[in-house]
Amino acid sequence: MNERVVAYQLGIFVTQWALMILGFGILTRIVAPLRLVALNLPFGSYFDASVKALVALALSAIWLFVWDRQVRFYFYRRRT
Amino acid sequence: MDETWTLTVRAFTILTTDNPSFSVLLFYSRLGSMPGMASLDWDTIAILVALGAFPVSLALTRFFMYWNSAHGIVGIDVHKLARPKIPEMCGAAVPVTLILFAVIYCLMAGENWIPFTAYSLVVGLTAVVGAVDDRLKLRGIFKPLLTLFCGLPLLILGLEFPGQVYDPTLRVPLFGGYHLHIIYPLTILIVISVTSNTVNMLDPLNGSMSGGISIVSGGLLIGLLLTGGSSSSIFLYASLLFSLLGFFYYNRFPSRAFSGNVGQLSIGASLGALAILGKTEIASIVAMFPNIQNSFFFLSRIRRFTEHRELKARPTRLLEDGRLASSEEPAAPLTLVRTLVAGRPAKEEEIVSDIWGLFLASTTLAVITLFLMGVML
Repeated sequence: MNERVVAYQLGIFVTQWALMILGFGILTRIVAPLRLVALNLPFGSYFDASVKALVALALSAIWLFVWDRQVRFYFYRRRT
Repeated sequence: MDETWTLTVRAFTILTTDNPSFSVLLFYSRLGSMPGMASLDWDTIAILVALGAFPVSLALTRFFMYWNSAHGIVGIDVHKLARPKIPEMCGAAVPVTLILFAVIYCLMAGENWIPFTAYSLVVGLTAVVGAVDDRLKLRGIFKPLLTLFCGLPLLILGLEFPGQVYDPTLRVPLFGGYHLHIIYPLTILIVISVTSNTVNMLDPLNGSMSGGISIVSGGLLIGLLLTGGSSSSIFLYASLLFSLLGFFYYNRFPSRAFSGNVGQLSIGASLGALAILGKTEIASIVAMFPNIQNSFFFLSRIRRFTEHRELKARPTRLLEDGRLASSEEPAAPLTLVRTLVAGRPAKEEEIVSDIWGLFLASTTLAVITLFLMGVML
């Protein structure tokens, strides 16, 4: 087993896991309770859901960006 | 080898046909009144029934190995110096076993047939897409597109029978949960496409996919048993685990059977469908971290959906001593295997062990995630 590589990968996984739970926490406690538009307006609930989905998408992009930086830093910093 | 095969077939034949007590056992377990069986709860019975998926999958894989070899359905093991020809599409044994056992359990336990039908249809449809791709060699974009539609049975049956297929409340570890009555149904299609394709992308070495997903399904099964999951979810995870182990027997290093897209896509779709049916969405994402990393870095470098066979620069190269080394080409994708051999070439079996180690770590985190579902900050 390549201990060094596996250890780096485990570090990346644990970091990403913690960040993911934090991200879901932000969505649960901050984003989900927000009322962006009155839900009784036409398509109000759909607009509300779309904006919240976009926030979730943005958080996912940040999460993947952190993952990308970590892998490049640990494994490919001399090559790329 | 032949002796093992003969023994397996004999054991299965005795169990299913020559031994009427097996059907009696099923009958009594349904009534829950068999002496000595009364103390068994439904979780135990579900696992005992799912155990049968192992010999069935083993037998079916052996059958597909023979049949596909005889009909010229073979692939070349490019990570061996001798480049042996190995029967392809043998992973079809897994979806066939999964559907068969879903039907058996549904009939036996008198369970609600709607979630089992949705699950079987998702697995069956992705298997068909995989089989078509195996035979016709579709372009890279078609697999994610076609598998997008494979989640429709979950969506349609879920909308038709609310509360019986999926629950749109997402449970979040430590923070409670929130209701997603608009977004959740839409994500079902994406989930099935992503899980099936990401599993499809991480099967470059002998036993890497079958072993890795066995670890994932086994870990989530243990997590559900410890945290009180439903019997039907426990049964479906157990049947996925045991059918995968049956296929793994022939797929492990040195491989005598290749899965093909038919197996990879359906196994991935099965995991995705189980995440929805078993309410293990976030834990499943965690367990699939190795798959996510592999797919993300492949797509971020290549910037399009493509097949491995269409790549101009391979992520790894085979050295003269049979070890695998990272590619020197800058355009090569940063796959998980390439990352694992970065700076140090390794033998195929060593890399596969590393991949399993990563799956073990991610699955451990997934089980912790399941435990954290019940904890509130």
